[in-house]
Amino acid sequence: MLKVEGLERSYATPDGLVQAVKGVSFEIPSGSFYTLLGPSGCGKTTTLRCVAGLEQPTAGRITIDGTVVAQPDEDIFVPAYKRDIGMVFQSYAIWPHMNVLENVSYPLVVRKPRPPRDEIKDRAMEALRLVGMDALANRSATKLSGGQQQRVAFARAIVRNPKILLLDEPLSNLDAKLREQMRYELQELVARVAITTLYVTHDQSEALAMSDTIAVISEGLISQAGPPRAVYDRPANEFVAGFLGGANFLTATVTEDDGNNGLAVFDGGAGSVRVALPAGIHTGDRVNIVFRPEDAALHFAANGTGNQVHASISRLSFQGGLTECHLKVGATLVRSMLHPSVEAKVGTEAWIDLNPARCTVYPARETSRL
Amino acid sequence: MSQITLPTGAVLRARIKKANSAEKRADIGWLGWIIIALGSAAALFFILGPLIMLLTTAFRGPQDLLPFEDGAQWTLANLAAVYLDKSLYTSVLPNTLIFTAGSVTVTFVVAFILAWLVERTDLPMRNGIYTIILFPLLVPGIVLSITWIFLLAPNTGWINVIIRSFLRLGESGPLNIFSMGGMILAQGIGLVPFVFLLLSAALRSMNPSLEEASNASGASPFTTIRKVTLPVLLPGLLAPLILATLITLEQFETPLVIGFPARINVFSTRIFFELNPDTDLPAYGRAAAVALPFLICGIALLMIYNHLIRRAESFVTVTGKGFRPMRFPLGRWRIPAIAFVAVYALFGAVLPGFVLVWASLFGYALPTFDTLSTISFAGYIDLFNNPKFWLAARNTFIVAGASAIIVTSIGVILAWTILRTQLAVRWLLDFISFLSLGIPAVIAGLASMLLYLSLPIGIYGTVLVLVLAYSYRMAVSTRLTRAALMQVHAELEEASAASGAQWFTTIRRVVLPLLTPSLVASFTLLFIIGFREFTIPTILQSPDNSVLSVMMWQAFQAGKTTQAAAVGTMIVLFVIPIIFGLRRLVLARDGRD
Repeated sequence: MLKVEGLERSYATPDGLVQAVKGVSFEIPSGSFYTLLGPSGCGKTTTLRCVAGLEQPTAGRITIDGTVVAQPDEDIFVPAYKRDIGMVFQSYAIWPHMNVLENVSYPLVVRKPRPPRDEIKDRAMEALRLVGMDALANRSATKLSGGQQQRVAFARAIVRNPKILLLDEPLSNLDAKLREQMRYELQELVARVAITTLYVTHDQSEALAMSDTIAVISEGLISQAGPPRAVYDRPANEFVAGFLGGANFLTATVTEDDGNNGLAVFDGGAGSVRVALPAGIHTGDRVNIVFRPEDAALHFAANGTGNQVHASISRLSFQGGLTECHLKVGATLVRSMLHPSVEAKVGTEAWIDLNPARCTVYPARETSRL
Repeated sequence: MSQITLPTGAVLRARIKKANSAEKRADIGWLGWIIIALGSAAALFFILGPLIMLLTTAFRGPQDLLPFEDGAQWTLANLAAVYLDKSLYTSVLPNTLIFTAGSVTVTFVVAFILAWLVERTDLPMRNGIYTIILFPLLVPGIVLSITWIFLLAPNTGWINVIIRSFLRLGESGPLNIFSMGGMILAQGIGLVPFVFLLLSAALRSMNPSLEEASNASGASPFTTIRKVTLPVLLPGLLAPLILATLITLEQFETPLVIGFPARINVFSTRIFFELNPDTDLPAYGRAAAVALPFLICGIALLMIYNHLIRRAESFVTVTGKGFRPMRFPLGRWRIPAIAFVAVYALFGAVLPGFVLVWASLFGYALPTFDTLSTISFAGYIDLFNNPKFWLAARNTFIVAGASAIIVTSIGVILAWTILRTQLAVRWLLDFISFLSLGIPAVIAGLASMLLYLSLPIGIYGTVLVLVLAYSYRMAVSTRLTRAALMQVHAELEEASAASGAQWFTTIRRVVLPLLTPSLVASFTLLFIIGFREFTIPTILQSPDNSVLSVMMWQAFQAGKTTQAAAVGTMIVLFVIPIIFGLRRLVLARDGRD
């Protein structure tokens, strides 16, 4: 179990203090897979490195399995080598002067007291078997492909059966095709070893596919945390909506409400949608209606349901399995997905059907577009 | 559990400071601290100790006393004696300038043409030529200087004898090595291999796509050279020029061997003769006073060099492998180009080597068919029966090996401290280690003499004092190790910590193995520098700590030409295997065969 409370990390720069992490709290139950997802520079890697003990927090508390490993106001800091962790680095950090087996044995070899030689070898081979690299145990580390390096790095991280497994963007160095394959493999491996895992990535599809819990981080704070589906379907704010899966934003005005539902009329009279209103939104308020591209079905005629927006096609981008369609609603860009069999032309008129159940309403702020 | 308190203001700043430094050093542990402290202290002692001694000595008198002997006091008399003396301005200063400017010009022009031919043209047999040009690196400067005397002495020099026999001239001349021209020639040619090595590396570092882009933009090959190649390479080409100036300025062998008989004094020999006057006692204070501006010049040149190197690195250039530079077709210049290389090889490598071996077997006379029958191994037999030779050989290996080990070890500690910690002292260490490059050997010798004569530890005149005096050359090993350590991704060390390894385990199992090639290179380079060293052991010489280069010079001075040549040959034979080891290492890195 890992518990992080009020974690802060500040840096002094020539321009003043910079807070990379501004008070991050979360808890990972034993055996659970927890992902920190966010754009570069959001503080997710700093958080991970604080958990690893490679960086010291400036405030907060980190507890691994009931033991406080970092709490600056109590002057507690346990260095990395004394923490029971396994870590996969972004660059894999496979030592080039050792072969595969030596790399994987290392955490056991440096353990005090050192286990017997046979035990070290057995356990390292077991870890290698788990990742399917046992046949290459004696291969030089410099002769490994990217995917093989990743497997070796994973085997090294789990070989001493640590309490916490830390994965720092482990897939970001692979090319697109291999990345997808290794994602499935990593997912299976993590499930098999059942170690409490903290995963850091900027790739939303990795996060959605692999995690038990996702925490979306923005500017040093957790914006929203929860199971992948819940976060995707009900983003707590526009940042989460925009970062996770791409979203369309249209401004509208509420013209009638019955306390729960209301009619939102889009600016410029382009259309309307009847949606559930969040608390505090009433007739006359300005709102942002957020919906995902896959929920924006295109039609070439009005259907009279009242849940439609009038638009014109401004760009079509054929991408094989689908056609990405850019539309203009007034001056606002909206994205939609078309099946490639649908014939469309740039400049033609179209109607976007909105499913009210999959639209989210936020109070409008003028600077809200992401 | 206790409540977490949020820091603000000064508390926060203190926390940040602690967190910043702790990241890099909390894990070092007491053993790490001791190692870093010892390494830093040793570096500061080896470099600053002698220098501080030198500075104080310049202001202590009377001049025949050591600076802290009873009776010595603060004085400006040394400075007055040196700088109010007209001969400084009428002979020493202009001689130094002419000698330096002339030699550097010769070196740079020859080295640049050779480097350009080998790296950027379609000259045939380039790899073989590369090796031949570097060959003289294995011959110590003192040996080269003496071989020039064998070749160009006015009466008996081989070349003079040959010219006279053709032109039916008199007893002497026409060429005279014992002149400013002779000094410039000997020194200039001698430094070519080193500068060639630097220049060819600079030429190789240029990304050929820069030139290809110029061609693709419609520029002719000549315009490309003028507008792209030279401007991009300029800092990388000027840096070796500055370094050559620094090395020539501190040259001691050539001015002593060739300049002294010609009565041409430069700064380095002037210092030596203040310490070894014909009649008087050594004038420590005056020697130190002469050394001061010399040292300042050296450090100023070093600063320029540093600036250029940084600029060159910011321009550079090739990161990936497999770049094939554009080669300039020589066309009808092919024959003159080959002739140029051949003439250089003849005078830079072949003749000096030949005359040395010949003189050791046949004496100093010009080889003819008659002299072939006078072959004699007496020179070598005498040498091998002479315990002084074996003592000198042993001393040479001990001093070169021990100082190379000391400096390489300290270099690793400094490089790691500079790159991987936040200690304030790392700036000082970086500066000091670099500074060592600007300290002329004459001054290092003089300063060590003053220091170890004054320290009451009784090592003056022993081999140990040479080991300590040689050990100031931190720049080589720190730079090499630093460059290698920069290539070691910090995550490789962090992965070790995350695997449960303590600091020293990480250093021993991860950092040192990864640095091995650069440590070997650093050791080999320092060993060769130590093996060739002549200046420091000459200044610090005693009967017990004689080294081979000093022994050769003493034999030559005593008129034992054959023995001197035999010692010179032995030095080369000892050093060849080591040089080839280094060459293999360096070339393997550059991706040559």
